[in-house]
Amino acid sequence: MGQSFNNEDIVHSASQGNARAFSELVREHSTLVYRVALRMLGDGGAQDASQEVWVRVWRSINNFRGDSAFSTWLYKITMNTCLNIREKELRRERWELREDLPYLPQLDGNFESNPEATTLSRERKDELLVALQQLRPEHRASLVLRHLEELSYREISEILEIPEGTAKVWASRGRAALLVILAGEADESNGDGR
Amino acid sequence: MTWEATEKRWEALEKIGAYAAGELDGEEAREAELLLMEDEDYPRLVESYTRMLVLLSVMGQESPEAPKSVVNNAIRRAYVAAFLRGAEDFVGGLGRSYAGAFVYYLGLRPKEA
Repeated sequence: MGQSFNNEDIVHSASQGNARAFSELVREHSTLVYRVALRMLGDGGAQDASQEVWVRVWRSINNFRGDSAFSTWLYKITMNTCLNIREKELRRERWELREDLPYLPQLDGNFESNPEATTLSRERKDELLVALQQLRPEHRASLVLRHLEELSYREISEILEIPEGTAKVWASRGRAALLVILAGEADESNGDGR
Repeated sequence: MTWEATEKRWEALEKIGAYAAGELDGEEAREAELLLMEDEDYPRLVESYTRMLVLLSVMGQESPEAPKSVVNNAIRRAYVAAFLRGAEDFVGGLGRSYAGAFVYYLGLRPKEA
């Protein structure tokens, strides 16, 4: 999963308190931490959460036993940090499911024919990030790891410390809720805000 | 909609989502295919899910760099912490050496066998 970069020696040195080795880890993995925090918390919280993750990593790296990949351990700390931040916020109610089914209109440009060659517009990216923020934290965590980080359910269950079945249920609920939210937004922007 | 009807809709929505994501196989996939035939709007739901999954996949391929301030701050903290740890060890070691010398000076160290 993630990086194939072999950090064993660097991780070992960092766990001995070697700041230079730790700096290498930060440079190598800062994108992973920031990317996950951004998707979990949006623009507003990603930066602070990333700082917090690295403080936690420095404090606890001597507990890293190498039983799993370093990236798995880092995902775990990042997710825990983001979920802790979210826990402090109020839980949102379940979205109202209307009589008509959520329908997402055809995507612009050549998305459907060649998604790999396409980049998301700033507007579309913001829309997705805002919609993700509306999901329940545990559903969002599973959805982000599954569909954005493209991890297996086994890896997700390891990171979130839950059974694989729960990881699947959370991702499934997250997917359904995200579709409802996005379809609702699409309706509103088409002037069909029922 | 009644509570039961709403729950049933969510269940169908989730099952069709899992089907669109290619996460069902065998019996579960067949059940989802039967479900798709129950409502003429369900195939459109599969299309909607597919579109959303494409969006997520494209977003997943983008990897925004962490701001430099985050990286620099994490590194600076580590260097400061390592320096303080080193200074603590040094002062501790120095103190122990002085204490050892003092014990020796006073002749309090037990004789070795």
